[in-house]
Amino acid sequence: MATELDRELETLDINVNVGPQHPATHGVFRMVLTVSGEKVVDAVPHIGYMHRGAEKLSEGVDYRQGLIFQDRTEYLAQFNAEMCYCQAIERLGGIEVPERAEYIRVILAELNRITSHYMFAGAFATDLGVYGTAFTYAFREREYIQAIFEAVTGDRMMYGYFRPGGVVWDVTDDFKDRVRWVCKQTRVGIDDIDRLLTKNEVFLTRSLDIGCISKDDAIDYGLSGPMLRASGLQFDLRRDEPYSIYDRFEFEIPTGTRGDVYDRYLVRMEEMRQSARIVEQAIEQMPDGPIMPEKAPRRLRLPPGEIYMRTENPRGEYGIYLVSKGGEKPYRLKIRSACLSNLTALKQMVVGHYVADAVVILGSVDIVLGEVDR
Amino acid sequence: MTSPHEGPQEAPIVPPEPGTIADTFREVLRDIEFTATQGVGDVILIIARDDVPRVLRAAKDNPRLDLKYLRCLLGVDHMDGGLEVVYQLYSFTRRHGVTIKTRLPLDDSRVASAASIWKGADWLERETAEMFGITFEGHPNPVPLLLPEDMTDHHPLRKDNPFAQVEEWQGLRLGDEASKVGHIPAGYESIAGEGGEEDGG
Repeated sequence: MATELDRELETLDINVNVGPQHPATHGVFRMVLTVSGEKVVDAVPHIGYMHRGAEKLSEGVDYRQGLIFQDRTEYLAQFNAEMCYCQAIERLGGIEVPERAEYIRVILAELNRITSHYMFAGAFATDLGVYGTAFTYAFREREYIQAIFEAVTGDRMMYGYFRPGGVVWDVTDDFKDRVRWVCKQTRVGIDDIDRLLTKNEVFLTRSLDIGCISKDDAIDYGLSGPMLRASGLQFDLRRDEPYSIYDRFEFEIPTGTRGDVYDRYLVRMEEMRQSARIVEQAIEQMPDGPIMPEKAPRRLRLPPGEIYMRTENPRGEYGIYLVSKGGEKPYRLKIRSACLSNLTALKQMVVGHYVADAVVILGSVDIVLGEVDR
Repeated sequence: MTSPHEGPQEAPIVPPEPGTIADTFREVLRDIEFTATQGVGDVILIIARDDVPRVLRAAKDNPRLDLKYLRCLLGVDHMDGGLEVVYQLYSFTRRHGVTIKTRLPLDDSRVASAASIWKGADWLERETAEMFGITFEGHPNPVPLLLPEDMTDHHPLRKDNPFAQVEEWQGLRLGDEASKVGHIPAGYESIAGEGGEEDGG
């Protein structure tokens, strides 16, 4: 009886195209899913729709002008990207950064991590089917921090605030008070989202044991950031290869155990709390003083050499490989994108799951297509 | 691109301190010759193209090196110096990293693929291949990653692939003469259009 039924219901694998313009793809991303009924048997991601040649363009402009491409590459964590770019130039050129500028940078970069993870939490909950509420909550909280960025830099998105050697101008007078307040508010905001999502029945059913990736596979694929930590490896560049002044702060590195979508969410939520902790420590220690080195050369020239600078961005290891052959322009500037490497594991994560889960898994990678395509 | 009044300069080779990862490589791979130099961060090893598969395999599998994490793979065009492929490796257990580089001649830019060693190398090699015209031999799926499928006639990140005129203009350092209102650099008259003089650039 059963065999007869099987024969009648013989199925055919079909290809389903998702994207490139689709609300569930977080930007201009396309994937072709081969499905057998509701199960995904193969997935082929197609990227490059937003390739603007940031690496090539950087070769044509001098070191200070090239900063703007970092904002446009990683447009949800601009300060973190700018920080990596500036650090690469400073290390290669042996430029000392004043204390105050270092603190301003760390505070802004950590706040930027919080806004980026808020964005993730809101968008991810929408992917999961908890539509609307979490998104508006996350965006309300994000807006408090965004207002500080706007006051400091004069821009909402393309900040261009850091400079090789420091920052372009000093922060506003009420900066400390606003940051203190926003740290307190962030803890409330995270608790709100926590209560809304973390033990939500819909949320748990859709995210537990979905898109698992083991620790060994995660390393082999070159995953980094929350994706790697959710798979159980406690590794954070801020602690393990400290750059800037991160060795002065106390913070914990949350890790997962299962390596599934839910763990990635939990890791990011805890990271936001830890970032708030770092900001609170930094704002108390922040000294007065100059924000750019004295006698900063008007024309910045770097000695010949090369450096691979990496920083811990919200999405993982963001790297700048900079080759200088003397002169005012980079000879070669490679951007190591965390999202690109995280996306390589997409196929392994989605195969065997339902089509609806593929959307959730893609959301858990937290891709920024500007960074993937560069 | 460097500034026009001085030629490109290469960084000097500075031997790394004894006891660094370069010595471990020497002990693990006794018969392979390479040049080691201390970079700003990591130790850099420059190996021959034919040694690439053996060195990378040993780097990953040898327990003393244990470089299981391929951070980054990229290409550099050194013009007359040929093309360079750079591997950034890291070990989570030993907490050390290394940069491995190899040079390929421009007219014969082939190198063995690392996609069978690290799964993460797959996409990175596809990107490097399309941007520099490097062939990664043994790559399981050698199709373009970021560029259109039909864009096979040129490789954007090569130095002989020019900027669009407007991009070059953006990057020009304008001298004293150029700071005059309405100045248009030589060769850019067509882009600036007829209104250029009156608008003041």
